[in-house]
Amino acid sequence: MNKKYIFGGTIITIFLALMVYLFTQSNIQYESDFSKVAVKNKTVKATGIWVKEKSYELDKTNNIFSFYMKDENGNEMKVVYNGTIPNNFESAHKVVVTGKYENGVFHARDILTKCPSKYEANKVKTSGI
Amino acid sequence: MLGSIFLSLALIFSIISMIMYFLNYKGYSNTLNYGRLAYHGMSIMVILASTFLFYILLTHQYSYHYVYSYSSNDLSGGILAATFWAGQEGSFMLWLLLTSIVGIFLQSYTSKRGDLEPRVMAVYTLATTFLLVMVTPWFKSPFNFIWAEPIYITIKDINPSFLNQSFIQSFLFSDGQSGQEYVKMTSQLYSLLSSMGISVNQFIIDGRGLNPQLLNFWMQIHPPILFTGFSMSTVPFAFAVAALMKNDYKDWVRQSLPWVLAGAGILGLGIMLGGYWAYEMLGWGGYWAWDPVENSSLIPWLVGVASIHTLLVQKKSQSKGGIGKFAKTNLILCLLTYVLVLYSTFLTRSGVLGDASVHSFVDPGMIVYLFLVVFIGTFIVLGFGMLAYRWKYLSENSVEEEGLLSRELALFTAAIVLSTSALIVLVGTSAPLFGSSVDTFFYDEMHIPIAIIIGILNGLSLLLKWKNTKGSEIIKKSTFSIALSIVFTALAVVLGKIYNPMMILLTLSTAFAMFVNLDIAIKIIRGNKKMLGAYIAHIGIAIFILGVIGSAAYSKKIDLNLVKNKPQDAFGYHVTFTGYNPIENGSKYAFKVELKKDDEHIKVAPVMYISEYNNGLMREPAIITMLTKDIYVSPLGYDEEDPNQANGKTIKLNKGASIDYNGVKLTFLDFNFPPEVRAAMMAGKDFKIGVKMTAESEGKIENFDLTLINKSGERTFTDYKLSNNPVKVTLKNLNASGEVEIILADTDNQNQSTVMEKQEVLSISASIKPFISLVWSGVLVMVFGFFISVARRLKDSLL
Repeated sequence: MNKKYIFGGTIITIFLALMVYLFTQSNIQYESDFSKVAVKNKTVKATGIWVKEKSYELDKTNNIFSFYMKDENGNEMKVVYNGTIPNNFESAHKVVVTGKYENGVFHARDILTKCPSKYEANKVKTSGI
Repeated sequence: MLGSIFLSLALIFSIISMIMYFLNYKGYSNTLNYGRLAYHGMSIMVILASTFLFYILLTHQYSYHYVYSYSSNDLSGGILAATFWAGQEGSFMLWLLLTSIVGIFLQSYTSKRGDLEPRVMAVYTLATTFLLVMVTPWFKSPFNFIWAEPIYITIKDINPSFLNQSFIQSFLFSDGQSGQEYVKMTSQLYSLLSSMGISVNQFIIDGRGLNPQLLNFWMQIHPPILFTGFSMSTVPFAFAVAALMKNDYKDWVRQSLPWVLAGAGILGLGIMLGGYWAYEMLGWGGYWAWDPVENSSLIPWLVGVASIHTLLVQKKSQSKGGIGKFAKTNLILCLLTYVLVLYSTFLTRSGVLGDASVHSFVDPGMIVYLFLVVFIGTFIVLGFGMLAYRWKYLSENSVEEEGLLSRELALFTAAIVLSTSALIVLVGTSAPLFGSSVDTFFYDEMHIPIAIIIGILNGLSLLLKWKNTKGSEIIKKSTFSIALSIVFTALAVVLGKIYNPMMILLTLSTAFAMFVNLDIAIKIIRGNKKMLGAYIAHIGIAIFILGVIGSAAYSKKIDLNLVKNKPQDAFGYHVTFTGYNPIENGSKYAFKVELKKDDEHIKVAPVMYISEYNNGLMREPAIITMLTKDIYVSPLGYDEEDPNQANGKTIKLNKGASIDYNGVKLTFLDFNFPPEVRAAMMAGKDFKIGVKMTAESEGKIENFDLTLINKSGERTFTDYKLSNNPVKVTLKNLNASGEVEIILADTDNQNQSTVMEKQEVLSISASIKPFISLVWSGVLVMVFGFFISVARRLKDSLL
């Protein structure tokens, strides 16, 4: 047997095994249905939109930022984040929060805001002046 | 029009050049000059098209969709020029431009090296052809006119003198939610305008502007360097296919080495500058976030660097004749480098990553997606198809014998480890394709053992001789370096308080690599300086890893709420917020923070502002760079708190709803918001909005009004003291959707005579990042090493 294959093979096998293990450990599923987020007892990436009507709250003393998010079916949930309001939050058209649903609120440890890169046509209602 | 004409001609030239070069390879000797002419024709057309794009950007021609979408009148100089690559269309254009220019050098290079030119250039022009198709009007052309597809343009970008004319009224729209008004730009409106002799450039007078996160010095530098790296990765692919075409694997190794080295150096520099940009701008939390866009440029770099190692072995082993060792490995790695660049383009631009990345582009549509799939597919089939076709020959002619303790095997192992790293990043980055994603600790945990092995190999491979080495000899040669690295690690453990065993191991192996390389570098510095490249590059990598250990694993962070002029202690400093200043014509605010320790006195000023572009709060950190650490002060928010209201209770009430407070039932009845007030508000004049409330206690009803007063843009709110109860009601905010926010306070307990001053509070997040400067300097040293090697290998390639 060629030494090249023994060496390369061993390294690749060890790392592949380690990778598969860590992958299952660090794997986070995307979830766009909040009714499922609530029952899953594990970290997910929940995608939805910010409920603007309910505004957001910023608790400066405890450094907690909270807001409401809803999914496509209109399911709402409260999101609590230990930190301040992310850049671009107000203009985000889509929000991805990473975290876990516990005791009726979603505890986010990461908030990602997606901003429309162009004005989208559907944002403008066709009510002529 | 002009831009599209240039690009169409370039596409025709590119195809002609490809065919002519291919025919020349097939034996038609008279087509070589046509191939060259057509290639240069293509390059000239691409340069003209790019010049034209610069021209329409610099002259603010908003009749072009791209110019309107990414630039505006308030941009100037380098940043305005850099809007060239701010959008998806322009960054394809930049890629194309740089690929064309790299090709000019490649054509000259290959023409001086035997019969290399037709094969290499035939493959290379296939790549330019694909890029040129990408920027045709059907896909991602930056030269499409703004009316080609209906687009809503905000009213402030339209020349106001046209707004009250009758023809425009049917194109005006307003967004019910925000009250914003828009003009719908369509081809109809365009023909109306042109029939009246109005040009679109007169009609649209300002653009959407650049995303504030791109408004940065590095925007002018990072993308061109990164795309130069991407463009240069086409070259090893073309060389590999050229070798397979001729079925000759001897010359391509030394001929492609300078290109692989230069490409890896430039791409590495580009990646680092991206990291530095992220570090300097807030919101990414450091220099590397394992974001898909960052990862996707790292993957081809790792594979490219892996190929350097095995290419060296093949070159060395060819001295005894034959094709040398690891020929198949090298072909695979060189083909993969470019395929992975294409794959990363696919990941970040096809919209497949959607939710996963901060800055992947939005969905460009199905047709672009399919085209990208065809683009990658073509190059995979071409490269790996050719390889499969020659596999049998390659297997029969390969040389495979080396000792266990040989430099050959160590270099091969290095390539395997680097490829494994690339595979890990690739798997993690591709996970969103399957509706899943990985936590960043996946990458961190995986790379600690990899970095340890890299450190050991990095040092060891240089102590090993080619062919075979005696164990005793290695021990003798490495004693000095091992002793030094043990002392170094011990110092790091004691002084740096490193107690994590993996981190100690990593420090030890990295220090070992550094001292071995340093030792050899010092020995040869008086000799042939051209030999220094590899050692300098490896010292750079070791410095880089030490910087990562310090800054990533041992950074400290603390959040502070700083009341103006009241010092707080953090990291041994007295930290004081002393007020803020408007900067850049009042568009931004600099918040002054002072750090004092003994006689050290540091002033910093992180910046916050509301961006007009997206109405969002933008924050920019302040960084103090010291010899052994950076202090990173990022602003979180600023508040003026009125302590007179602080002991009140804030309540939100919807229209018609009630609340009980100390036996008083408070009800929010309605707004007092007549149409004339609404009109004044729309027109931006001063106005007042009333809030009708009632208070009911022990059967007595008291009606009262709270008012929002808007005077010259500033909002104030009134309060009301109930006559029958010791309660003060203060209006805090109101929302047109039918909600008010009020503050309820007891007037009993409050000492009315002492009115406290307003408090100004700046919230910051401060962190200490030890030895982060080693991250940047390590990469720079490494890149410097790459280029010394380029000089050496360039000479070799002419043999």
